[in-house]
Amino acid sequence: MLPSGMTKIPRDLSRREFVAVGGAVLLSAGAPRLARLELTAQQAIERIRARVGVPWRDTTVDGFKAGDPATVVTGIATVVMATLPALRQAAAAGRNLIVTFEPTFYSGNEDPGSRASDPVYLAKKAFIDEHRLVVWRFSDHWGARVPNEFASALAGALGWADLRTADNLLVYAIPSTTLGALTEHVRARLGVKGSLRVVGTPGMQIRRVLLSPGTTDMPGTVKNLSQADVIVSGEPREWEAVEYVLDTASTNQPKGMIAVGRLVSEEPGVRACAAWLRTLITEVPVEAIATVDPYWRIA
Amino acid sequence: MTAEAVVARIKAQLASQGVAWREGGRDTFKAGRPETDVRGIATSGMSTFDVLRRAAKAGHNLVISHEPTFYNDRDVTTDLETDPVYRAKQQFVAEQQLVVWRFHDHAHALRPDPLIAGSARALGWTSYASPADPRVYVLPATTLGELASAIARRLGDRGIRVVGNPAMKVSRVVLGPGYGMPPLSAAADVVVGGEIGESGGNTEYALDAAAAGQPKAMIMLGHMMSEDHGMQEIADWLRTFLAGLPIAFIPAGEPFA
Repeated sequence: MLPSGMTKIPRDLSRREFVAVGGAVLLSAGAPRLARLELTAQQAIERIRARVGVPWRDTTVDGFKAGDPATVVTGIATVVMATLPALRQAAAAGRNLIVTFEPTFYSGNEDPGSRASDPVYLAKKAFIDEHRLVVWRFSDHWGARVPNEFASALAGALGWADLRTADNLLVYAIPSTTLGALTEHVRARLGVKGSLRVVGTPGMQIRRVLLSPGTTDMPGTVKNLSQADVIVSGEPREWEAVEYVLDTASTNQPKGMIAVGRLVSEEPGVRACAAWLRTLITEVPVEAIATVDPYWRIA
Repeated sequence: MTAEAVVARIKAQLASQGVAWREGGRDTFKAGRPETDVRGIATSGMSTFDVLRRAAKAGHNLVISHEPTFYNDRDVTTDLETDPVYRAKQQFVAEQQLVVWRFHDHAHALRPDPLIAGSARALGWTSYASPADPRVYVLPATTLGELASAIARRLGDRGIRVVGNPAMKVSRVVLGPGYGMPPLSAAADVVVGGEIGESGGNTEYALDAAAAGQPKAMIMLGHMMSEDHGMQEIADWLRTFLAGLPIAFIPAGEPFA
């Protein structure tokens, strides 16, 4: 038992943090400051679930992926994908709750499968354990808010925040341009490198842009592209949205596609999520970790 | 010979090579009338509108496509009936009396897999095939940057995407054309293939592996840049048992500008 007058050390305050905080703070005199620290990952997530504004789904990829939910949160980092470099950056900045939007262990169900004894997988797991990080995924529900947070934030990053059309929340009416000029605008604004791929002719006239960050599926493309000249896409598949856009060249209404990659397309929405989290979690710092386009191409 | 009869001949040939026909898969007629008389056959990685136009112009009215015609894996057209692009493509098929038949599942069942063989041929890797594993190629040691440059030049691949350190040494390659490339693991330096989901998977693994000091890489050629070539192998194979019919490979080509 602890001597009277001493507060029990929260089980998830690491030894290093205990030293940093200093024993004195743990005496009753330091109680107010300690109370401020005691936001667990579980409590943070409960607050998010209560405030996200969409009903929580029974079947979802969202949830804890690594770490102990009872861990006391020292800081929150949002990131598109919880790669090992991103986890290192978060840990170095003292952000031990990582809110990610893509998998942590290489697949949607996080089952390492054949990688269970893989050295890279084990190194990542060991890093998470050693630094007592907690990883929580927030993809389905952040993406379910209306208007779509990823699309709105992508529009903001492209300088089009005020240009959304009234008839379609995913379509933006921009000043008249060409596919070639728009491609250069998108490349510069999003810092996209190897992920950038374009379908269509550079001289194609563009007025209306359909935004489709993340997965660019075929039904959404067919449904919405009739109202736009070009689709700015995250991740299209060649036998789905790409083939459809390609085929429009043989009709009297040719369309264009600018694919920027899934991760690049989701980056603005993940930054917007950090800003939103700051409005409901004030106990600890919240920041977005930048995602660099992982792909490169031969110059 | 009708398109139906051509497909019957293909099924018989597959059976003679030990590939039993399985119903319920992807390999069905997608457009046009199966009873149409065939004047010539065109094989292609994907029956895009442009491929259909080139096939019609060449008088090859049976198009054998590896990938879908109508923008989804099973060519479900229920929600496309009022779509102008779909309607224009169907109208062109009807006007030109084309027939489109898909050859995917059973093509991959042939040994060696002609899609892998075609990709390896296009890459110039045939002689580097590992005798132990049909997907592994052991190349003369190079760097990832040099390998990617050589591939891009050779294939004329504009949309090639690479993850990994350009300076890393590579030799052992797993080749997986099409979608869903083989998972990266400690067993190879680099996976080369068509396209794969960017969420998690090989992209995340390669980024983690570099950070963990065990560099791995992935080169995505694009779906057509990796599987189109194998339909040349299919054209060659069709000629062995369909003498008298003009048969041509019409590449879908890279969709990206």
